[in-house]
Order: sequence, then C-alpha cells, then structure tokens
Amino acid sequence: MLPTLNLTGDVVLAEHVSHRIGKVGRGDLVLVRSPVDPRRILTKRVVGMEGDTVCFYVDPMYSQTTVVPKGHVWIQGDNTYASSDSRHFGPLPYGLIQGKVFFRVWPPDGFGTLEQ
Amino acid sequence: MRLLSYMGQWKSAAKEVLDRTAIVAKFLCLLHVTNNYLCSPTLVYGPSMLPTLNLTGDVVLAEHVSHRIGKVGRGDLVLVRSPVDPRRILTKRVVGMEGDTVCFYVDPMYSQTTVVPKGHVWIQGDNTYASSDSRHFGPLPYGLIQGKVFFRVWPPDGFGTLEQ
Repeated sequence: MLPTLNLTGDVVLAEHVSHRIGKVGRGDLVLVRSPVDPRRILTKRVVGMEGDTVCFYVDPMYSQTTVVPKGHVWIQGDNTYASSDSRHFGPLPYGLIQGKVFFRVWPPDGFGTLEQ
Repeated sequence: MRLLSYMGQWKSAAKEVLDRTAIVAKFLCLLHVTNNYLCSPTLVYGPSMLPTLNLTGDVVLAEHVSHRIGKVGRGDLVLVRSPVDPRRILTKRVVGMEGDTVCFYVDPMYSQTTVVPKGHVWIQGDNTYASSDSRHFGPLPYGLIQGKVFFRVWPPDGFGTLEQ
C-alpha cells in the first residue's frame, strides 16, 4: 500500500460501521479477510463495486477487462507492483470486508486522515 | 430538615436505579458476547436443506467457535454469509474442503469436477433440486463462514443434535 501506508508499519483507526450499512464505496481503504488465507487480514483500496467494469494489467503489454459480479468488490493495493489483490484472486465477496480505514495514528508525522 | 430527609431518600433511590441499570447493562453485554462469539439461536427457513431442516422454519443453535479455530470439516452444517447478497445468511452443508476434488451435476446428463482452491470450501444444500449453493456461485471463501449448526431447538419433535 505504498506510498499511502508505510512499509514498516502504521497504526490506523478502522471503523466497523460502514460496511454493515453498505456505505463502502470506490476509493475507500478497507480491511478485508483474505480469501486465500482466512486468518490474514489485508488492507487494500476498493477500486470497483458490483456492476463496475474494471480494467487491469495482467502484464505490462496486456490489459484485461472484467465486470464485478453482484455482491462482490474489486480491491487493489496502491503499490500495484508489489500487491496481491483482486488482480490475482479475483473479485472479493463483500461479506469479507471487516472495516474501513479512515485515520492514521502512528507515525506522528503521518497523523491525520488518509487521502482518498 | 425535611429537605435533608428527601435528599436521603433520593440518594438511596438513585443508587438502587443505578445498581439495577448496571445489572441490566452487564446482562446485555454478556448476551452480546455470547451471541456473537459463543453460541446463538437462529431461525432458519427455506427448502434447500430438506429433509434435514424443515421448510417452514426451525430454530437451531449455532456455535461461533469452531470456524475461528479451523475445526470446520466435511459434513458440517454451517451458517455462511451469501457471496451474492452480503446481508443474507445461508445454512448449507460443507461437502468439500480446500484441495478436495468435488464432482457435481450441472444438469442430469452432465457432471463436472472441480478442485476446491486454497482458503475456500464447497457448500451444498441437502435438497439439491432446490438449493442455490456452490454449484451456482462457486467455491466459498472460508472467511464467510459465520458459525456451525449443531443442535435443533424448535420444533419440539425435532429437538436434538442434527445428524451428519
């Protein structure tokens, strides 16, 4: 998630209300449970909601377009070169979203809301 | 002097109100923790799990401990959040775990085999003719499992553990 979040660890605040009332949208930073390892929680950005057409690069020469199915979201890390996200495991069911990140607490020079 | 005695009565009444409110608040907190993390009753209805579960609705007990420690296996009845509608919770049976090869009938003449990917489970309703399950929406991520059903409370003639 570089450059939004640091490599060595940030402490962020995540609220657990929005995803229960359906207020998660494009551009939000979310905590999701990994579909590959159910004990891991990832931090990614929601790029597409259900029904959106998402265009992504499988390799530098070849781009592919998919439609996000109903009840799913498309998530991607900000650092596309080093992120395992929906480009690898496909659209993510909305029910795996655990919360929305809205504020960074640590390190002190990054204190404040995270830009969309 | 009467004002002092009134204040004494109010103080003891207020203390009693606070004590009783504290008891109710503690009870609600304990109820919330038990419902979400230990065991909770759920009303399940629908035709997809006949004959195990009735069409018109059963009250079952579901425990929320097993799926967190990885003890969900083949043949278990589980509550899962639907991948198609995240506000619905389904009751299905786990037929295949990750790495299993699952054979299912797309139509009466044609069967298909898939391998369940890592971190996913294959769920099916007992009533295959009227169930929307992994045969339609594919393998389900393990993280969508909400709990395991182990006991039926209502109707009274169905009281008891549910057979595997």
